[in-house]
Amino acid sequence: MSATGLLDVFRRSFFHLESRILQAIGFNNHAVVPALSVQGPGIFPQLHRNEETEEHSLLDNIFWMAAPKKRRTIEINRCRRRNPQKLIEIKTNIEPCSECGNLKQKHVLCGFCYEKVRRETAIIRGQIQAQEGKPLNNPAVETVVLYEGEKPADTDAGKRIVERKRQRPSWFTQY
Amino acid sequence: MRLTLPVLIAHGRYGRRMGLGPESRINMLRNILTGLVRHERIETTWARADEVRIYAEKLIDYAKKGDTDEKAMKMASFWLTEKDLVHKLFKVLVPRLGSEQRGYTRLFHIPNRDSLDRAKMAVLELRGNPFPPLVTRQPDSDGSLLNQLLRGYREEETQSRAAGGD
Repeated sequence: MSATGLLDVFRRSFFHLESRILQAIGFNNHAVVPALSVQGPGIFPQLHRNEETEEHSLLDNIFWMAAPKKRRTIEINRCRRRNPQKLIEIKTNIEPCSECGNLKQKHVLCGFCYEKVRRETAIIRGQIQAQEGKPLNNPAVETVVLYEGEKPADTDAGKRIVERKRQRPSWFTQY
Repeated sequence: MRLTLPVLIAHGRYGRRMGLGPESRINMLRNILTGLVRHERIETTWARADEVRIYAEKLIDYAKKGDTDEKAMKMASFWLTEKDLVHKLFKVLVPRLGSEQRGYTRLFHIPNRDSLDRAKMAVLELRGNPFPPLVTRQPDSDGSLLNQLLRGYREEETQSRAAGGD
């Protein structure tokens, strides 16, 4: 059996299957003939006209679509690509931090200095957590942080004391 | 507040939209406010810190009415989800911040978050917290150029006045 013969067989069997399904539904070939035949233009010619006009207008539209007429020269391209609206804005609000010398934005805290403070507060918080023991155990008193060699002052009378085993850093001033 | 276009479009509305809806927004702000009262210094996105600031100041204003006031107690018990902080609010924060009128919190901008979203971050802290200060003001030293020039000018003036007087 050749390839075309096989294809033929498949095609015929497919159409046979289709007709059997249609028969089962009730759509029989012999019922497709119109029950009423009318002289002159009926309902169907209108549909055909719409389809024809639609197809024509689609083809016409394809012919009228926008397309570039000429190649954009490199000079014009450069003008478009490099105009100030498309370039990244230069920031004029960057300055060196007066404490550490790293660059920072004027309205933002210095990243290096903030990181120092953040680490120290994290360690202090760890100590507080260890002192409290269990969660939700916050005592209703003020807290004071004392470094090596410091003693609680008179104002630190009823406060919770957190001890840090290091020298007081220069940026943590005692008010 | 400056009359910018977004402000005019808002027609007087100043609350931001956050989370999954108004209830979710209030819940989120309540959690952040509880964290602020517990830790006294927290780091969040700038928008959230800005919103929480309004609620924190209002809560402390309510708490100033006192422990016995019913409305103040209701507010505190709603907004602080951890009940040991209600005591802290009335016994610690109100005496500490009671003398001030409005500025109980401080909001600072920090560099954008390290993760992919590069979010605008802020630190929100209550005044008088025991932690190291975020902003240190450098005292003016006599050795700075401006101070030296001013000193020289003052000395010249006194000299000229003394010479002119004689």
